[in-house]
Amino acid sequence: MSAPAQPPQVKALNCPNCAAPLTIRGFEHTLTVVCPNCLSVLDAKDPNFAILEKFQAKQRVEPLIPLGTRGKWRGDPWEVIGFQVRTIMADGVPYSWSEYLLFNPFKGFRYLTEYQGHWNDVTVLRTLPEVAMSSGNRIARVLGQTFRHFQTAEAETTFVLGEFPWRVHAGERARVMDFVAPPRMLSSEQTESETVWSLGEYTAGARIWEAFQLPGKPPRPVGVFENQPSPYTGSVKQIWLLCLFLLLSLLSVSQLFLIFDRQEKVFEHSYDFKPGATQEASFVTPEFDLKGRTSTVEVEISTDIANNWAYFNLALINTETGQALDFGREVSYYYGRDSDGSWSEGGPHTTALVPSVPPGRYYLRVEPERDPAASGMRYGIVIRRDVPSMMFLWIAALLLVIPPAFVTFRAMGFETTRWRESDYAPSGGGGD
Amino acid sequence: MRHPIYLIYGLLLLGMVTLAEYRGWTFTSVNELKNVPKSVRDNPGAYRSHYMYYARHVGGK
Repeated sequence: MSAPAQPPQVKALNCPNCAAPLTIRGFEHTLTVVCPNCLSVLDAKDPNFAILEKFQAKQRVEPLIPLGTRGKWRGDPWEVIGFQVRTIMADGVPYSWSEYLLFNPFKGFRYLTEYQGHWNDVTVLRTLPEVAMSSGNRIARVLGQTFRHFQTAEAETTFVLGEFPWRVHAGERARVMDFVAPPRMLSSEQTESETVWSLGEYTAGARIWEAFQLPGKPPRPVGVFENQPSPYTGSVKQIWLLCLFLLLSLLSVSQLFLIFDRQEKVFEHSYDFKPGATQEASFVTPEFDLKGRTSTVEVEISTDIANNWAYFNLALINTETGQALDFGREVSYYYGRDSDGSWSEGGPHTTALVPSVPPGRYYLRVEPERDPAASGMRYGIVIRRDVPSMMFLWIAALLLVIPPAFVTFRAMGFETTRWRESDYAPSGGGGD
Repeated sequence: MRHPIYLIYGLLLLGMVTLAEYRGWTFTSVNELKNVPKSVRDNPGAYRSHYMYYARHVGGK
């Protein structure tokens, strides 16, 4: 059914307590109206607007959406006709939220609720949810969706304004139970006479401001609300999938280099070294060719040292250009046994991966050193051309994992903040 | 695609690894000298290493 072209006529009367003008927008649906001037609760069904109660609000609250505001919400015109503030006490601290009652003569009622800048669009359910226990948690199922219990509290109506389709009165109390499945929230309100279930959906304040053409901007949301959708929903899984793809790509690239790098052995020889000998310790190897593109050269040294050290000054010298690449490697190997058991440090082998060596004819200058008191040492030198360095693979893999780990950490932090306000907070929560 | 920056970051890393592997870059510290005389081939003791090495370990546990 389409909305009428002209706004429905409202009924105008005066408050019997303060004579302020009253407007009835909800027609025959309105049972109670609260005078906007003196806050007297009046019987809307009484021809003389009998005063039911003089509402004594400690503090007058101005609704963010003024009563009588009209807007198009979810495709239909709605008018704000009532406003109430409800309060729960948790650990002696009052927490209040606002409820705006919207009315459409053809669609009925719906609510907009607001807590610290977080808005929900709420409709009363006509289906009774099923409440059950699952894995030690209370859950509720309705409309094919499962909601997890968030909190149970005693809510008190602390401020009312406008019209209501029920007999509103000061200090009205209800046991409210919230279940969440972001962005939805299932709530039950239980009084002595009835239990009402409603379904809320988290809504951006900006959408409401736009729909009702409200001036300014909506208040900024504070903290994380119980059914606020996590900005990380789906994001964590997606970034880890992307990470996996990149890691596999990285592995593939490394495998290709492992397969296609030459890893060609260009020199191998064994030597003896006696420390303290009078002859010159340094020597040069026979010349060898390094082929292919500018690439790595791996120098591997294997010794027979035990509980001792040796140091090798090395220089890879190009016979044609006179370019020398100086580097050094220490070999130290210690082992033994003590009260903790066997131990060992280091090893008798070492390798050096010389970077970016152009092709050409080379020889290696070797200058071994040892403790002069040490015995002789036998060692072997193997030189290989074009050996891949796996170090970059590991560093890149680590750098790839950091962003997804950070996003996961943030997502967990968001959920921790959400549930900190529930009955299941890590500390301070008491359940119901 | 919800993480375009991460994808670009990952592809850049992948590119860097490929380039590093292709160019033969490593983390080994090497000192480069130019115009080493050919006489070193005959007299290795005349060559003075310019590699700055760290203090060596001289003991066990």
